[in-house]
Amino acid sequence: MSKDAFVDAGLYLPQTGRIVAIEQCTVNEKFFRLELTRPLQHRPGQFVMVTVPGMGECAISITCGPREDNILEMVIRRVGNITAVLHGLEVGDTLGIRGPYGAGFDLEEFYQRDVLIVAGGLGLVPLRSLLLPMIAAHQRFGAITIITGARSPAETLFRHELADWREKENVRIIELVDSTDHYQWDGEVGMVTAPIGSLVLDKNRTMVVLCGPPVMYKFVLLELEAHHQIPATQIFVDLERRMRCGVGKCGHCQINQAYCCQDGPVFRYSDIQNYPEGLA
Amino acid sequence: MGSYLATEEQVSTWLHLLAKERDLFWPRSVGQFNYSFLPLGERDEICFDRYLPTIVPPGRRLLPDDETLFTSQQGDDRLSHYLPPQPSAPMVLAGVRPCDLKGITQLDTVMAAAPADPYYHQRRVNTVIIAMNCLAPCDSRCFCSAVGALGAQDGADVFLTLLAEGVLVESLSARGDEILVKASFSLCEDGKERRLVAEGTRPLPFGRELAVVPEALPEMLRKGYESPVYHRYGERCYSCGTCNLVCPTCYCFEVRDEMSLDGFSGRRSRTWDSCMIPAFAEVAGPHNFRAEVGERQRHRLKRKFEYLPERFGLGSFCVGCGRCGRQCTANIDILNMVNDIAVEVGGGS
Ligand code: SF4
Ligand code: SF4
Repeated sequence: MSKDAFVDAGLYLPQTGRIVAIEQCTVNEKFFRLELTRPLQHRPGQFVMVTVPGMGECAISITCGPREDNILEMVIRRVGNITAVLHGLEVGDTLGIRGPYGAGFDLEEFYQRDVLIVAGGLGLVPLRSLLLPMIAAHQRFGAITIITGARSPAETLFRHELADWREKENVRIIELVDSTDHYQWDGEVGMVTAPIGSLVLDKNRTMVVLCGPPVMYKFVLLELEAHHQIPATQIFVDLERRMRCGVGKCGHCQINQAYCCQDGPVFRYSDIQNYPEGLA
Repeated sequence: MGSYLATEEQVSTWLHLLAKERDLFWPRSVGQFNYSFLPLGERDEICFDRYLPTIVPPGRRLLPDDETLFTSQQGDDRLSHYLPPQPSAPMVLAGVRPCDLKGITQLDTVMAAAPADPYYHQRRVNTVIIAMNCLAPCDSRCFCSAVGALGAQDGADVFLTLLAEGVLVESLSARGDEILVKASFSLCEDGKERRLVAEGTRPLPFGRELAVVPEALPEMLRKGYESPVYHRYGERCYSCGTCNLVCPTCYCFEVRDEMSLDGFSGRRSRTWDSCMIPAFAEVAGPHNFRAEVGERQRHRLKRKFEYLPERFGLGSFCVGCGRCGRQCTANIDILNMVNDIAVEVGGGS
């Protein structure tokens, strides 16, 4: 084994992040803003490993766009022990952070292109890291269409931001819920697949990004194929796996040939469409 | 990087000398049939006879179970401070067979892939390897020759071959030279030639055979993705994970945190894990990407013969040691499984 290869002795050591803001987004989701000791320097679509001291570590998507300061933003759903503890934390408490990890998006690839974003459930959380820089420089892109889906109005995320983004002349937003569930709702009702057929998309210049629950991908891809035939090289999917190390060593997130933590979690669809475990 | 000829007694004396300076592991017989890489004690005898592969491969010493990733301590500032583990002590792995040697060089590559694993790296650069040639298959499970592991010398610092006239000791690296300074063996000018003559006496075929050449395996396994063979073997599998734990090229791990009772200090460790255990590929939802035992057998097998070889370009990641079959309660043997798939897909001869 080569002795001079670069080895980061601190690979498994978290840096400390202090919580500077918390917001309850929905019953199960909280927004956290952390101040780190150094800039994260991440790309859209990357993730961090979050340590709750003494409890454990889990992979969490970064929800802020790339930034120069030491800020990290995440939206965390309460699903297990670690996230339950996270939900109990207060401003001033600290967490351990490793990363950023993952391949992420290359924003420049989207310049001058039309963009279709389909975000189901928590899909908007990681995709916000792509959308924020995109909206900030919206003149550099063609038409940006964002379709969001939630089970009910109570589970929608980032609605204020979506309302702001909608003001840009080249941004169109379609918000859907499966059912209004007796809440007031000014968006549409239905599945995220519903509007796809009637969109006008130029298959040569449209980039598509999908993020949502596993079942969503298959149906959205079928709709896209049926109506728009956008090449698989222009479609990105953001996949979830159970990562332990985040750096391609522990083996947990392997999807056939690919490592979700290093090759993903954002994959070009053409790279994984032949992987039977990819969208299974 | 010379060659020497020595008696078994001289080699034994030399190894004991080395063992005084640092931990030296040699396969020692334990129980009736088994072997284990254990520290060589002053009074321990060294057995040069043919020995079966140890249950746990020597490479696991480089990636020990329950290894500390960090300890944490809450300071007066109420912040958690994360401290790296103590660096490990230098060691010698001696009596390493070519299959296990190849397994170690493959782990080297996996762990060095960016970002490199710092703890593995630290252990590895501190480890001297004294390998031991094989001139006959260790038992009826062995198939190292079929997967190209038999000739492996890469990664070894010293290479031993048992000749009729004594033990051939070849130094393969500067570190090998260094540890041989202490030995008083006689120089052997034609060491390589003598080794080749001895290797020429190996039986043919050497151990069991693959139905296809290893290079053809990735394509064959892609074709046979839906093969019922995985599920047929899966039917009698207990999903116990032993096959992974004894494999020289399995390295997956689980991460665990523990907190001391004082509530202020803690430790994160990694423990050996296994893709044969049902929960391995589970995600929140809950959803399991390999819920079926046959799917897990397929994953294990494809990692050895397709995924890792293609990702790292080092040929078969199964080194043919036969351990998984030897230790499996259900007698599930990876070579039999591959050969059955070959017959079925039609890639077999
Ligand atoms: S050792 Fe045998 S029974 Fe256990 S998981 Fe492996 S194949 Fe299955
Ligand atoms: S897969 Fe089985 S035979 Fe191959 S290297 Fe691993 S334990 Fe040995």
